[in-house]
Order: sequence, then structure tokens, then C-alpha cells
Amino acid sequence: MTEAQANTPSAASYLPVLAAAWIVPGSGYFLLKRPGRGILTFVSVATMFLIGIMMRGPFFQPQGGDLLTTIIYYGGFLAHIASGAFYFIAVALGYNQPDVAGHVYDYGSKFLVGSGLLNILALVDVHEIATGKKS
Amino acid sequence: MPKMALTHFETAILFALFTSVILGITTKKTDKERIRYGAQCFGYFIAALFGIGWLMYFGHG
Repeated sequence: MTEAQANTPSAASYLPVLAAAWIVPGSGYFLLKRPGRGILTFVSVATMFLIGIMMRGPFFQPQGGDLLTTIIYYGGFLAHIASGAFYFIAVALGYNQPDVAGHVYDYGSKFLVGSGLLNILALVDVHEIATGKKS
Repeated sequence: MPKMALTHFETAILFALFTSVILGITTKKTDKERIRYGAQCFGYFIAALFGIGWLMYFGHG
């Protein structure tokens, strides 16, 4: 085993933190003893998701077709999944806004996708902290 | 759940705010750098918002 391999933390040590950070945005920072960043991440992701719901943004569903359609719909769906519990709770509570024309619905959709993308950024940061690449 | 109808400007400001917070948190190493970078990103968002807004206004003729 090389020295670099020996210094790399095992997946078992950081995967639970990553899973927590995915399900509840910001919780990974709390587990890594960085509560300030955890609160800011939770508030940012949660508020963006809530605004998206209140603007009645539709959720993307996986949908094939031409390349652009596939990227947009699969990408949007993955971003929703990245929002963690917020998405699953909204679906479980029956939120099912149809995709209708209108700028407010459109902004709402972008907020819903944006909250998931911000949580992905936070997940990458949590991973780097958990693996010791960053403080 | 109450319904919210924001204008494009309000929406863009909120989007810029939350995105800047996360960008600040995730990209820099010290708290001072994070605050500075977050504020910088927010400033860029606002500059782009007004800049592109005026560009579209004049582009429409």
C-alpha cells in the first residue's frame, strides 16, 4: 500500500456524512463540526425549494426524445433528487404541479432545480472536508 | 401552501443571494475569504442583471 492510499480515508468513514448531507441539506457540515456553514446551506437550499413550490414550479420527470430534451428533463430530475428530503416530502404530500405556461411557474421550476444544484455543490464541499482535502 | 408571485427582478435578486451564499461557503478556505467571495459573486450577479437588462431594453429598440 502506498503512502497516499494509506492517508485516504475509507469510504465507510465519509459515506454516512455524504448521505446525511444529501437527505438533509447542511447536515453534513453539522456532522463535521461546522454548524455555521450547515445553517447557511440549510437555509439557502430550503428557502429556494420553498420559493419554487410557492411559485408552483413543476417538477421535471425523466423524459427521452431529442438530445436537448433528454438532457433538460433527466438533468432537472437529477437536480430534484439532489434536493434530498425536500423533494421526497413534496412528492409524498402530493405536490404535482402540471407544466403550464407562465413566467411565475417557470421561475419556480428554476428555483426547484437550483436548490438541488446548490446542494450538489455543498455535497462536493462536504466530501472534500470529510476526506481531509479541505478544512 | 400560499402562492407566491414574484417579479423577474425579485426572483433574480433572491436567486443571486442564495447562490452567492453557497458559492462563498463551498469555494474558499477562510471565513474572511468566503464572505468576500460571496459578496463578490452577489455583486457580479447584480451587475449582470442590470447590464443584460439594459442590453435587452436597447436591443428591442
